[in-house]
Amino acid sequence: MAEKFQEPVVDQIYTLNLGPQHPSTHGVLRVLLDLDGEFIVKADPVIGYGHRGHEKMGENRTYKQFMPNSSRMDYLSGMIYNHGYVLAVEKMAGIQVPERAQHIRVICSELNRISSHLLWFGTYVMDLGGFTPFLYAFDDRERILDILDRVSGSRLTYSYCRFGGVSRDVDVEFIEMTRAFVKRLRSRWSDYHNLVTKNIIFIHRTRDVGVITKEQASQYGVSGPNLRACGIGYDVRKAEPYENYDQFDFEIPIGEKGDALDRYKVRLEEMEQSCRIIEQALDKLPKGPVMAEKVPANVKPPKGDLYFAFESARGLTGYYLVSDGATTPYRLHIRVPSFGNLHVLVEVLKGTLMADAISILGSVDVVIPEIDR
Amino acid sequence: MPKTDEVVQKLRAMLPEDAVCADEAYKAGVAFSVLAPLGKLRDAARLFNEAGFFLETITGLDFQDTAELVYHFNCYEPKSRVAMRVLCGHDQVAPTVSDVYASAMWLEREVHEFFGIRFADNPDLRPLLLPEDADYHPLRKTFGKVNAYRKREEIYG
Amino acid sequence: METCERTIEPVEPVIKFAVLEDILNLARANSLWPMTFGLACCAIEMMAAGASRFDLDRFGAGVFRPSPRQSDLMIVAGTISKKMGPAIKMLWDQMPNPKWCVAMGNCAISGGPFEYEGQYAIVAGADEIVPVDIYIPGCPPRPEALIQGFLALQDKITKGEDRNILRRFRRKGGQS
Repeated sequence: MAEKFQEPVVDQIYTLNLGPQHPSTHGVLRVLLDLDGEFIVKADPVIGYGHRGHEKMGENRTYKQFMPNSSRMDYLSGMIYNHGYVLAVEKMAGIQVPERAQHIRVICSELNRISSHLLWFGTYVMDLGGFTPFLYAFDDRERILDILDRVSGSRLTYSYCRFGGVSRDVDVEFIEMTRAFVKRLRSRWSDYHNLVTKNIIFIHRTRDVGVITKEQASQYGVSGPNLRACGIGYDVRKAEPYENYDQFDFEIPIGEKGDALDRYKVRLEEMEQSCRIIEQALDKLPKGPVMAEKVPANVKPPKGDLYFAFESARGLTGYYLVSDGATTPYRLHIRVPSFGNLHVLVEVLKGTLMADAISILGSVDVVIPEIDR
Repeated sequence: MPKTDEVVQKLRAMLPEDAVCADEAYKAGVAFSVLAPLGKLRDAARLFNEAGFFLETITGLDFQDTAELVYHFNCYEPKSRVAMRVLCGHDQVAPTVSDVYASAMWLEREVHEFFGIRFADNPDLRPLLLPEDADYHPLRKTFGKVNAYRKREEIYG
Repeated sequence: METCERTIEPVEPVIKFAVLEDILNLARANSLWPMTFGLACCAIEMMAAGASRFDLDRFGAGVFRPSPRQSDLMIVAGTISKKMGPAIKMLWDQMPNPKWCVAMGNCAISGGPFEYEGQYAIVAGADEIVPVDIYIPGCPPRPEALIQGFLALQDKITKGEDRNILRRFRRKGGQS
């Protein structure tokens, strides 16, 4: 009888705006979600809220003047981007780098990779509701920033790698601090595993959530730990070794299913592999100069183009430089991994719950200003 | 690098004689560089897709006499990047590859908003990074502060 | 996009308290709740300032609220792009009075390293959109710099370093 007076339940799809100011969107991302109850029917990311015009600046700045820009695109792996940019210009201009500088650059890049993954770890678990791992991760991260601050002068955005080497030599204390840090980080794995990896709530929120299939990964250009979690073992450090990565012995962790839990495990294992690289680089650190002999003040690469790819903390990154022989590039295009990593979510988010969407967004580790450039 | 050789063989069959150049030393970051005409773009993209390559990025270039699109394809094997260059006049319409590669949806949007190159049959050419009402194309060499505006042969000969 | 008209916030309240005003200011200054508004790189240093080493919680500001309706401090940390400008204005308007704004980093002060003649994409400084109380330079500013700016804001609210009786950090010989 009561049913006759009830309004029929109408299935309605309503649009919810997620962002651009949101605690869990890792930058200024806006996603227009079409929701059917709690299930997402369509996800349309709107980006560009952090667009600064780096590529136009690349055409208006000399190669040296662009160096600060390179760190600020993906500020969490600023050292790796700086390193990659310097390597690209050196390859194009034919500048040789002394061995000591190569080792130092690899150590600093791997330290940066660890700090980026630690920050991801802290913020991801914070998005899921756990605040304590954030503090643990930032504690370890501060130690890395202290080491890098000592040698480069900057905590977050570095211009430490220069054309031809690095700007300043490292001293004995840097080596001791790095070794002590690696030792301490290894003793912290048990803390992280006990606090997060074995946590039943975390496992429920990440297992089988946000599965990216191999076909989706290939169609959208997914790279980095997200790709390796799907089962494809592609890492630019092994596929196209740059600097002297081919001298170091490290493994590429590969996942199986491609869900958020696999992405998490791959990143934690990558931190351990980075520790291995750092130890080997410290052991093999040769003596010598840290800057090449004759580096021109205004680098003028010869005419032509170059695509230089390297592995940032988020995946396959590339600098595409077109030079017309002048001191400023004719075109500087940056291929960023977060572009594909975010684009694949348009498909992955369909049919998921709203709360799972936050978990998926966090697990693919997107940095929006690098997409926006 | 067997996959790259396979694809290049098929491309050589499809394109004119000197369209494919090899780069053994990987000097420019690519194993092969292909110059394809605009009409063969979709067929070439399908070849790459069937061979298991993914589309890494699309770059637009603005020259005085022409605009250029550079497609970088890569697969999950060592040193297998192939660059495909397509010349497209400033007022020409390029065919889309977004039905072959899903990532091209956004990549073409970006090239369109920065260079003004239209892609036929791309269902969604809204601006990606610029504000929705932007009517300028920033990376054109006729916009804003520009250092050099050259003809293509000045760089590539 | 033209720069928005700066709205003048009402400064003089209708009813004036004397000692109560001082107590209210003391309460407001020592429990500022920032809004999570990180735009770019400075956001990471803001997070580091809120983390365990440079604890902002000891100044009463540990509770970063995501909603503008529950916060009274907007820390503009990062570059403001032209697309984001209207959103900042909307968020500022949504915050209830009394509210303050801190421009953190060079980009929020004046466009930073990205401002050049011919820049089409950014707004040259947060004060083109919202009234800024404290400017913290740096690219990015260290968390200690953010804390210094914070203390300066507290002094601005309590109208003097000496009137903030809960303040435990004093600068030797000089204003903060």
